[in-house]
Amino acid sequence: MNRNYLYLTMLMLALAGGLFVLPERNNEQGTLPEELMWDIVQPTRYATTDQVARMIIEKDPTIELIDVRPFDEYTDFSLPGAVNIPLDSIVNENYQDYLGIQDMNAVFFSDDDIKADQAWVIARRMGYDNIYVMRGGLNCWVETIIRPEKPDETASRQEFEKYILRKGASMYFVGGAKMDENTGSKKTNVAVKRKKKAAVAEGGC
Amino acid sequence: MMGPLIPQGIITGEWDFVIALLLGIAFGFILEASGFSSSRNIAGVFYGYNFVVLRVFLTAVLVAMIGLLYFDYMGWIEMDLVYVLPTYLRSMVVGSFIMGLGFVLGGFCPGTSYTAIAIGKIDALVFTGGLFLGIFLFSEAFPWISGFYYSDNLGNVTVNEVLGISNELFTFILVVMGLVAFWGTWLIEKRVRKTNKHYKFE
Amino acid sequence: MSADKTMRQGPRYINPYFGGVLLGLLLLLTMFITGRGLGASGAVKSAVVTTMDKISPVHAEHNIYYSKFLSSNHSPMFNWLVFESLGIFFGGLLSGALYGRLKKPRIEHSPKISGKTRLWAAGIGGVLFGVGSQFGRGCSSGAALSGTASFSFGGFLVMMLLFGTGYVLAYFFKKLWI
Repeated sequence: MNRNYLYLTMLMLALAGGLFVLPERNNEQGTLPEELMWDIVQPTRYATTDQVARMIIEKDPTIELIDVRPFDEYTDFSLPGAVNIPLDSIVNENYQDYLGIQDMNAVFFSDDDIKADQAWVIARRMGYDNIYVMRGGLNCWVETIIRPEKPDETASRQEFEKYILRKGASMYFVGGAKMDENTGSKKTNVAVKRKKKAAVAEGGC
Repeated sequence: MMGPLIPQGIITGEWDFVIALLLGIAFGFILEASGFSSSRNIAGVFYGYNFVVLRVFLTAVLVAMIGLLYFDYMGWIEMDLVYVLPTYLRSMVVGSFIMGLGFVLGGFCPGTSYTAIAIGKIDALVFTGGLFLGIFLFSEAFPWISGFYYSDNLGNVTVNEVLGISNELFTFILVVMGLVAFWGTWLIEKRVRKTNKHYKFE
Repeated sequence: MSADKTMRQGPRYINPYFGGVLLGLLLLLTMFITGRGLGASGAVKSAVVTTMDKISPVHAEHNIYYSKFLSSNHSPMFNWLVFESLGIFFGGLLSGALYGRLKKPRIEHSPKISGKTRLWAAGIGGVLFGVGSQFGRGCSSGAALSGTASFSFGGFLVMMLLFGTGYVLAYFFKKLWI
């Protein structure tokens, strides 16, 4: 009997010690190519500049604007309240707190769609949900929100309503931009909300 | 198929309670078959005449820990979805002291008392009645102690986050400690039983 | 271990290490299926909450501890741990019947104390365990066993302190057991 226990002792030690000598192994399967493709072709992953403008004006707390252009371009001009995660540092540890916050919708934007789209794909591949791209980027933003074009006389009523909204938004943002200049770099101090672990109902034993 | 199954919705609602019952039956069977339905067997761990609690309990912890680490390594279980008991430092320390005292006095813990009731132990029934009363008293007094109850919340922290050692190293240390304890207590038990003739199993 | 053959006149138990391995594998299986470990005191808590809800629903709703576990769409007894604990009872019954330990109601106590003393000790022990398990977020199975196995710091803490306290205090209650 004693000898059996000796064997069991050694087995236990071997099993526990074995944990150290296991070769590295990556279990991250990530998103499958098919899934990723499916996600990419979904039109719902885009937010229009109008939607973004409205959310900013209404101070929607669930929107998180992420500027993926380089830092100097971000300091030159960006959307109010936007945080800067340059595209090349999107996989950086330090920026992960900005992504994947529960109940927050992250909207990527750049000058046009391209960089924001790339950021979106990378973030998607890292497993984040609730991420969007602002369609057309800042170019479109300036065209539609800051300097909206007056529609033709023959245009539909909706077009005009849109124009009026945009005109209003333009006032809001141009005024807002001036204020930003005064307050300087303050807008970079965006409070970081820590990602919370999935809450499981308490109840213990 | 990657675990855990229920949090990922692989097994759905209706099966939940059937599984609970089956797992419970296995749990109860193992507890009773190991001798946990006798309070004197259990209390033996404190006096050196019967270390069955230490053996079963510690072996189970070690096997589960090692198993979990291998499961994680093989990618069979998503560790982020495994519930980590939150740590409320002061409340838990006090709770452990109270439970420790209750353990020496009562000789059961909740799970073992259910199995003991099943085989006809009146003392286990009284113990469970005490449990009921204890939880009732706690709940009634809760408005006055809730501050303490929620104090020092460290969140769902794991050992490696607090002590800064990897799960593997922690497991290995526990395994070594456990094996030393198994052999050590075997010697102690042999000696104690030689001098203490009047104790018999149940 | 042939040395203690003489001690084995009573009912036979399975080898404790074998039992431990089985319990460990069961715990692993439970974690694989449910994502959390085993538990026991939660069922009594559900029973307390249910009883209070039946006797005085207003009181139960006002007490912030009860109301934590009350839900409008189902009874607190409709709970994973309640079914699991029911299982523990039936599992014990099954094992007891199988190994011939299922007998008429009796009180097990040390020959040095009376049955009445034992019942008092068991009752008080139960009350303390009930209170302690609420502070400790679980008992020896929920917090100490499952908690430690899932690498929770709190679980490990409870395990060490629970047994540690037992050892420190054991001397004073020696008469209860041997």
